[in-house]
Amino acid sequence: MASVETPSRSDAPPAVRLRGIGKRFPGVIANDDINIDVARGTIHAIVGENGAGKSTLMKILYGVQPPDSGTIEIDGAAVTLGSPADAIKAGVGMVFQHFMLADNLTVAENVVLGAERLHGIGAAAREEITRISGSYGLGVDPDRLVEDLGVGARQRVEILKVLYRGARIVILDEPTAVLVPQEVDELFDNLRELKAEGLSVIFISHKLDEVLSVADEITVVRRGTTVTTVDPAGVTARQLAELMVGSELPSPSTESSTVTDEVLLSVRDLTLPDPAGGRPLVDGVSFDIHRGEVLGIAGVEGNGQAELVETIMGMRDGATGTVELAGTDLSGRSTGQRREAGIGYIPEDRHRHGLLLDSSLWENRVLGHQTRRPSVSHGLVDRAAARADTQRIIEAYDVRTPGPEVPARALSGGNQQKLIVGREMSGDPVLLIAAHPTRGVDVGAQAAIWDHVKNARRNGLAVLLISADLDELIGLSDRIEVILRGGLVGRFDPSEVTPEDLGSAMTGAGSDAPREEGSP
Amino acid sequence: MSAPAVARTPAPRVRRRSPYTYLAVVVGLLVAVSLLEVVTGADDLTSSGTISATLVATVPIALAALGGLWSERAGIVNIGLEGMMILGTYGAGFFGYHYGAWAGVLGAILLGMVGGLIHAVATVIFDVDHIVSGVAINIIALGATQYLASRTFVGLPGGGSTQSPTIPSLPSLTIAPVSDGLQGLEQRNVFVISEVAAVVRALTTNLSALTVIGLLLVLVTYLVLWKTTFGLRLRSCGESPVTAESLGVAVLRYKFVAVLISGAMAGLAGGFLAMVASSNYRDGQTGGRGYIGLAAMIFGNWRPGGMLAGSGLFGYTQTLGLRSGRDSVHALLLAVAVLALAVAVLQLRRRHVRAAIGFAVAGVVVGAVYFAIDEVADDFTRMTPYVITLLVLGLFSQRLRMPAADGESYRKGSAG
Ligand SMILES: Nc1ncnc2c1ncn2[C@@H]1O[C@H](COP(=O)(O)OP(=O)(O)OP(=O)(O)O)[C@@H](O)[C@H]1O
Ligand SMILES: [Mg+2]
Repeated sequence: MASVETPSRSDAPPAVRLRGIGKRFPGVIANDDINIDVARGTIHAIVGENGAGKSTLMKILYGVQPPDSGTIEIDGAAVTLGSPADAIKAGVGMVFQHFMLADNLTVAENVVLGAERLHGIGAAAREEITRISGSYGLGVDPDRLVEDLGVGARQRVEILKVLYRGARIVILDEPTAVLVPQEVDELFDNLRELKAEGLSVIFISHKLDEVLSVADEITVVRRGTTVTTVDPAGVTARQLAELMVGSELPSPSTESSTVTDEVLLSVRDLTLPDPAGGRPLVDGVSFDIHRGEVLGIAGVEGNGQAELVETIMGMRDGATGTVELAGTDLSGRSTGQRREAGIGYIPEDRHRHGLLLDSSLWENRVLGHQTRRPSVSHGLVDRAAARADTQRIIEAYDVRTPGPEVPARALSGGNQQKLIVGREMSGDPVLLIAAHPTRGVDVGAQAAIWDHVKNARRNGLAVLLISADLDELIGLSDRIEVILRGGLVGRFDPSEVTPEDLGSAMTGAGSDAPREEGSP
Repeated sequence: MSAPAVARTPAPRVRRRSPYTYLAVVVGLLVAVSLLEVVTGADDLTSSGTISATLVATVPIALAALGGLWSERAGIVNIGLEGMMILGTYGAGFFGYHYGAWAGVLGAILLGMVGGLIHAVATVIFDVDHIVSGVAINIIALGATQYLASRTFVGLPGGGSTQSPTIPSLPSLTIAPVSDGLQGLEQRNVFVISEVAAVVRALTTNLSALTVIGLLLVLVTYLVLWKTTFGLRLRSCGESPVTAESLGVAVLRYKFVAVLISGAMAGLAGGFLAMVASSNYRDGQTGGRGYIGLAAMIFGNWRPGGMLAGSGLFGYTQTLGLRSGRDSVHALLLAVAVLALAVAVLQLRRRHVRAAIGFAVAGVVVGAVYFAIDEVADDFTRMTPYVITLLVLGLFSQRLRMPAADGESYRKGSAG
């Protein structure tokens, strides 16, 4: 038998071999001649711009969508994956870029769904979930309703789902976008452990430093095709970014301060009681934001930042305390009225609160601005103007799409995010409340969004910024407050603080910070 | 894994209700009704006759509601329940007359399933709007049964184009010693004790096998949907079909099966009307109970226990209206007034001032009506069940939570 030259490291067939994968959508070539080998027992990263086709490729490998062309081999055997059920049988597990969770079911129900054979759906399954959660440090409580979880907790449930199934090939599509550095470190420790057990991990992220630290091999995808596969030891983040987009790595840095002494948002003793009767979710929070100022809130997800934001937006019942915008009391006003008063809002979960996935981009543009020009005039939707303004956002924010008529679902995750940012910056808001504003966008787009925020700030925009990305917080903020268990516990000057200091303040290091484990 | 400790806020956990809660609710209701009887002197409120009739009125509604529950838990809105019930009444009439009582039951189920099959093919396979398909089924079922009845029942003894011959009756249960023994106690009017005796008598006198089956199906539904893998998967299809799909669940298959079962339940509800609530198929027999069942299901927050309570409420008020309605319904006014005031207080404590004022005003108005009149006119007693259901739905509907993807169209391959 003639010997065949293969690029793989050993004689064993690669865990996954993709050859010539192609996939088209109306007006878009998402994948075109993709070739990737993933060796067993390695972490293989895939990087590329927003809309480069990474998620599409992963969905093909997971059987969600059939490829138009190309072949998939798993452990050396060619497979046809007609549905996720086929992929699961072949040993593939996937964490999707957007959460795949049923809100009204408990964590346990979400985890065991589809894998009931393993431990049933009762006490044994809950015990196993608690065990996995404990040994991988996920802090997941099986009896909670998913609806009540924040984005970080949801992300950990997603990771637990894959671990529970015992997949041999694990796909992680941007699992770290909303995790704080400590959580990312925990996850990477777990991944290395999985790797040692002989599993293969395919990992997608826009945070290139992360990628370099954890990956054994990195494949760069550009405009739907594989450009090259590199060894992380031989490249820098800058070089990677250049391979992806040809642009430079941005560095968020605040230039001269634009903070004025005019208070724009004034929050006093804001408290949101826990409907279930526990400790308040938001606990006596007071702060001011001035015109032209960015206030960053640092905190591990689940410490009340989501509730704080939603209370300010008027989305939560039963809050006490006052919120004043430019001197006017907002209490008793609806979310819509608050938005009309000039608040822009980038929600933490774009699919839950940001978009109507099956509506067109221009209809999504009108959302939240349904009483204002240019989308609406004299109480009627002005389609032409809405389309034109959507086109403006598409160009200004570099949303990669065939046009304003496509449904939001057809955008890649990062492009959906850019659209939301563009929408919320429209209509000259006086206050922007931004939760993870650059979640899932590539390095180039991240820099562009930062520039937009900085420009608006120069013109007097006040920003309340929540982010799991500490570099973003430090780079953009004029002041950083740390939130822990619903209360503000520390204030930092971003020009002096290091990510490490911030990290330990966020976890309450030094104070009594009980780690919430799986079982109560 | 000795990573740095990360503090996280514990969120509320899912609260499980113990069976004792339900027991307490039942006992509480009994005490409340007894009190009402004492205060108002309307003594038919808890007679065993009333309770028996309530059971017969409740079960078909509950079965229809179960039908709705099965289908909506899988994400398919089934407004065609009424039509499937109509098919069931005909199935009971035709098969019951020709092949015996139990064949009638099977016939009702089978024809209901035919309705379910049409709905499933339309909504699950061809992605037709659920409401459109359901309404179409209601119209088609009505026409089809009228046509079939005129073809199959005319000329039979007692049959005609609008009714079937008498269907042989199903076995029913009477425990004479208990039933007769408690009669004295019931009539002695001892506070609460007599009411308990009346309930026991109702359950031991002429209790139809189909009533028992109907109530058991509520329990079975609960167990299947909440305690089995099949049920979890089915519910996941109603909550988030893309999630279910991404985990390897054959979503379309589960939806299809759920709608079939839904049809079977609705058909059985129709069979009950024909065979237990009366003794033959009659045109127009369902009288909108399919829609009432849907309302009861919503009232019950898409849960079997709640839906049974909703059906019971409707069955009870309907029974009261039909029996000595003038007095009993008059007494109910007082109950409604007190309930509204209680809710007002509750809302006030939750600081929902506007809602509290609304309920207080409603309570005072209804209370005033109670004291102003001595008995309720017949025209009004007939609408009582609807009014009360509406009111109670209004009181409790704030916290309803339907399956998240209920009524939405779903196509394979949309995960991600
Ligand atoms: N269902 C769909 N219908 C139409 N077009 C689609 C669909 N899904 C993806 N696309 C298009 O395919 C291209 C690749 O999208 P994909 O989601 O794979 O990008 P990505 O690399 O994951 O980007 P991101 O980093 O933003 O997540 C995009 O241009 C997107 O608009
Ligand atoms: Mg993606």
